[in-house]
Amino acid sequence: MLKRKRFIFAILAILPTLAIFAYVRLYPIADTLRLSLYQWNILSKNKPFVGLANFRELMGDHLFISALVNTTIIAFGVLILTIPMALVIAALIFHRTRSKMAGFYETAVFIPHVVSLVPAAMAWKWIFDARLGPLNALLDFFGLPMQNWLFDPVLSVICIIILCSWQALGYAVLIYIVGFKNLPVSLYEAAKLDGASGPQSFWHLSIPMLKPITLYVSVVTLVSGFNVYAQAFVLASDAQGAPGRQVRVLVLDMLENSFRNYRVGYAASEAVVLLVIVLVLTLIQFSMLRERGKA
Amino acid sequence: MAAVEIQNVRKAYGDVETIKGVSVDVPDGAFVVLVGPSGCGKSTLLRMIAGLEEITGGTIRIDGRVINDVEPKNRDIAMVFQNYALYPHMTIAENMGFSLRLAKKSREEIASRVADAARILGLTDYLQRYPKQLSGGQRQRVAMGRAIVRNPKVFLFDEPLSNLDAKLRVQMRAELKDIHARIRTTTVYVTHDQIEAMTMADRIVVMRDGIVEQVGAPLDLYDRPVNTFVASFIGSPSMNFLSTRIEADRRSAVTESGIRLPFGSETSVAPGTAISYGIRPEHLTIATGGGEGIPMVVANIEPTGSETFVQGTIGGQKVSAQLRERLFIKTGEVLNLTLSPSNSHLFDATTGVRL
Repeated sequence: MLKRKRFIFAILAILPTLAIFAYVRLYPIADTLRLSLYQWNILSKNKPFVGLANFRELMGDHLFISALVNTTIIAFGVLILTIPMALVIAALIFHRTRSKMAGFYETAVFIPHVVSLVPAAMAWKWIFDARLGPLNALLDFFGLPMQNWLFDPVLSVICIIILCSWQALGYAVLIYIVGFKNLPVSLYEAAKLDGASGPQSFWHLSIPMLKPITLYVSVVTLVSGFNVYAQAFVLASDAQGAPGRQVRVLVLDMLENSFRNYRVGYAASEAVVLLVIVLVLTLIQFSMLRERGKA
Repeated sequence: MAAVEIQNVRKAYGDVETIKGVSVDVPDGAFVVLVGPSGCGKSTLLRMIAGLEEITGGTIRIDGRVINDVEPKNRDIAMVFQNYALYPHMTIAENMGFSLRLAKKSREEIASRVADAARILGLTDYLQRYPKQLSGGQRQRVAMGRAIVRNPKVFLFDEPLSNLDAKLRVQMRAELKDIHARIRTTTVYVTHDQIEAMTMADRIVVMRDGIVEQVGAPLDLYDRPVNTFVASFIGSPSMNFLSTRIEADRRSAVTESGIRLPFGSETSVAPGTAISYGIRPEHLTIATGGGEGIPMVVANIEPTGSETFVQGTIGGQKVSAQLRERLFIKTGEVLNLTLSPSNSHLFDATTGVRL
């Protein structure tokens, strides 16, 4: 009897939080799913049901496809750049924890993650600037040809990848450092006696044992990579950047479709595609994590 | 195989010295146990031999070569850790063969050496499993196997049995001893458990507060402890100590309450000197023939079946006795005991040093 009473109390206690969560988190997702099946121009009361017509149209939409390709390249590019770098940097910081500079290194790597997206992107835009940027100045100093970083369609994607990785790195390093701190010291001592050098211990022990952390960081990095918007917008979508919005990303395409072209249902269907991609990738990664746990 | 010579070794962390000049010789093929209470520096000393801790002062030689500044991997030693330190993501075979793989041995050689070690340790059926699929005792054996495959000059053990339950510990003790008897590799073994030390060692090194208190064969330490610390540390239950003064005849001592405790022979210590009279619990027996005897007021009785442990007081001083007989007495009653004078030990009352 008491148990039941307590159960009811518990439910009542968490109900307000649950309600807020449902309203701000679950309802928008559900409504996006619903909207993707309708045609709607934001203002009109007329909101006809069109079934999967939005999705059919997406398949032939060149702008959408190019946004999808760009976003995928950026997301995986960030992943491929961030994970190995974060692992190595975290290992270096962790193995230098006795040094007085450890705190400085950790903070230095983490700061980009807390800096607002837009100012950070503006700074990088200056770095990549073809005429005034330090990057080209550096290339010139070493006698290398200067590049049109933000004007070239391929180079501008690379620039976005670099900017996003720079921001994602701090978080990944922080999580990896926690991972390193949880690895038992005796294993490394055993490896030392077994004849392993530092890099060998890193390769044979740290990397495999940090696999769960790597999976988690990959999910987070990939999901945020797929949601890339501000970085692309600032770096490569106004007059100073690539003309004609060369680097189209999914979120940008969605925004344009819903608030410039007033095709909310169509934009919702794009969001659903993005949701499905992220969900599938996350599921794959988590199932890998579970498999490892079974071993 | 090789001898290990530790000469005047010191370890300091800043101003704090934890090992204060330790010298120990481990002869070739011997099984030496470092024993002492926690914090005595025994593990630190072992880690210094392994190369996991730097040596602040003194020298350590393995096979005649000073290894103070030699990398751990070049010392030709293998260590078994208390928590086994098995690589969780590798199979048992991979765990055991890891050092050989790093040494770039051929696949065939690794497989055959791992198989040999697995046979010695009875792990052949488990080679493809992962550490978490094995029991504590099996993991312990894998840790041993990892050491054996390397065929090192010296084995180091850091409290390898303390994570096992009591029954398994006894079994593993015998197994370790058996393995040592077969492969005869010089072994340095650290434990806080004096029973492990007594049963396994060729030679025991008793340590306290970073110094060596006594080195010797197990029974020598038991029969002739150099001070009250060694006397109380070695043997379970621990030796009884009674504050007494030497009698005029120099053949016995008397407690404050007038109870006379005889020695085996005449002592050179001056009559009236305050001493600590040591007697092991098993050297107290029940007095036959009534009257004569040392009266012990019983406080607690612990029958184990084969023996009876009795705790109580003699002249107000705490004493325990290990008796063969089954007793049917109650607490508060008086038990008349006799002791074997030749098994008594005399220690200086203030310094604790054997007289």
